[in-house]
Amino acid sequence: MRRTPRDELVESTAHGGLYLRRLIRAQLSLSLVALVAFGGIIGALPLALLLLPGLEDVDVFGIPLPIVIIAWPPFALFIAIAVLYVHRATALEESFRDLVEPEP
Amino acid sequence: MIALGAILAVTGATIGLGLYGVRLARTTSDLFVASRAITPWWNAAAISGEYLSAASFLGIAGLQMKVGSGALWLPLGFTAGYLALLLFVAAPLRRFGAYTISDFAEARLRSPRLRVLAAWVVLGIAGFYLVPQLKGAGLTLGEVTGAPYWVGVVAVGAVVALNVAAGGMRGITYVQAFQYWTKTFAIAFPACLLLIHLGGLPERAAMFGHEFPRAPDSGLVVQLAEPQRVTFPEATAYTVDGVPARAADGEERTLPSGEVRLPADAVVPVAEGIDAQRGEDWARPVERSGPSSAVFVYSLLVATFLGTMGLPHILVRFYTNPDGPAARRTTVRVLGLLALFYAFPLVYGALGRVLVPELYMTGATDSVVLRLPEAAWPGLGGELLGAVVAAGAFAAFMSTASGLMVSVAGTISFDLWRRGAAPVDLRRRRFRLAALAGVLAPVALALVARGLDISVLVGWAFALAASTFCPLLLLGIWWERLTARGAAAGLVVGAVAATGAIFAGLAIDGEHPTIEALLTQPAVLSVPLAFAVMVLVSLYGGGRRRAVDAELLALHAPEGLGLDEPAAMGQRAPA
Repeated sequence: MRRTPRDELVESTAHGGLYLRRLIRAQLSLSLVALVAFGGIIGALPLALLLLPGLEDVDVFGIPLPIVIIAWPPFALFIAIAVLYVHRATALEESFRDLVEPEP
Repeated sequence: MIALGAILAVTGATIGLGLYGVRLARTTSDLFVASRAITPWWNAAAISGEYLSAASFLGIAGLQMKVGSGALWLPLGFTAGYLALLLFVAAPLRRFGAYTISDFAEARLRSPRLRVLAAWVVLGIAGFYLVPQLKGAGLTLGEVTGAPYWVGVVAVGAVVALNVAAGGMRGITYVQAFQYWTKTFAIAFPACLLLIHLGGLPERAAMFGHEFPRAPDSGLVVQLAEPQRVTFPEATAYTVDGVPARAADGEERTLPSGEVRLPADAVVPVAEGIDAQRGEDWARPVERSGPSSAVFVYSLLVATFLGTMGLPHILVRFYTNPDGPAARRTTVRVLGLLALFYAFPLVYGALGRVLVPELYMTGATDSVVLRLPEAAWPGLGGELLGAVVAAGAFAAFMSTASGLMVSVAGTISFDLWRRGAAPVDLRRRRFRLAALAGVLAPVALALVARGLDISVLVGWAFALAASTFCPLLLLGIWWERLTARGAAAGLVVGAVAATGAIFAGLAIDGEHPTIEALLTQPAVLSVPLAFAVMVLVSLYGGGRRRAVDAELLALHAPEGLGLDEPAAMGQRAPA
């Protein structure tokens, strides 16, 4: 009888380890991509606000623009990244599930 | 008086529900973990309820009023921490079945000694985090009743310790979820009413623009309970207990205790430790130097982004999720709930600059949230709103402090007390004793730390968590070559670097602003250092390396394949 990926995993064979590590690497890459997207934008903010003079002179509803920029929009960005990430991470796990337990 | 009633109601409800919880808690594990069949929304509200502490409720607005818009990086970092948790920790840790970080450390690296080390770090972080909660309590009770500072500190410390010892408030997800909505209502409702009442932001120049905060048209009357060292940004006349006096431009003086009166439109003097800022400087979120310097902002963002995952009272809550995907869904909802809450504190910080400028003079900017309703709305309306805010603040201390106390008591009674199997009764007794003992040190520290900002104190807890548990969790979950020796070395180095810098910053009066910023918020240096030590000692420090396939499987394999037997069914986990 042919050994399935599932058996390989349960018995911790070299093949099983390979399947698992492929999943881990895919998940980690996904997380790192999300981190770079997030870190790039939020990390650039303090520097941008420091180096771009004149932003304070722009008012939005009577509030200086720099305050508006850091007070509300980043939270929407967090949620957007989180939702996208969860979607992709779940998809990765689904494909792993299909590999381990193919549909009959 | 109304406010005191509201505070007592919140406290009474918390104790009542805690005691009610005792009757439900039949086994030890119930003391720690609620039923695991709780939906992500409830869980998310509970996590947010426990997370939103005095620092969020009082500290952000207080720091914003004091140093300016640089304080707005705090809520950003506090929330971003959950993104880090989501991306790297939530699902794997839930799958692993580790209940606390100590559990994780022991199960992942098979080292009971690492567990003990991790337990000490838990105590350090929880201690740093408890102090500002107690400080907030002392402040709030003082504002509301006029009681001395220590009364509130000791009272809340006692109530929380007794409550935790009696019931383990942690077990009740629904109470924490309820606390979230209490706090959000208590901060959002007065904020909205204030904005409507004032017709938007007041036009007074002090908020933004070229002006310093000034006394209102009716003049400013401030009661000083003790002599206060202040700086006058502009020359002005004033009276103390009716005796006229005059201060010159930029003059530094010690005002005697008594009733200080400033004439209309006089620039308000600022207490020691506060820089008088014109509106335009105050509105700037990043500056080249000073308390909002870019170095400090980045270090703060690093600390909060990476520190959240290491807070002992937060990670435990994820255990209440039934599986990994549920842990992820919960975290996304937490982000939404925190975003909702954090939309409001800045209203208080901004309005406080105009409406309660006397706080600049007394230095008590941390109480701006409590003071604002009555300042904006003299009479019954303001008093009622003030009561709502005070109750919300108390909900914040109670929930966060209770969560922390459960972690402290659990850590002392399980990880540090003689380990091994013990009968349930004995364990429960130890847990209770530990809760009572564990509150003493934070209460003592809170009495000493009166002069420090709540937000600064909380920043230290995040720095310590980010420099210790963050590398342990990230490397433990994603890097299979981590060894127990490497983890231990990293924990020690990270903890020593972070606390050492913080205490050095307290001891030294910094001449160089960048160095001072790094000592006040050392994460940007101490976190990479801890990571480097963990990696290098794991690679080159010798020690046994073993196959970790079983642990990796438990961490990362999706549920429902029959592969995911938790590796770390710690002794605290329910059967």
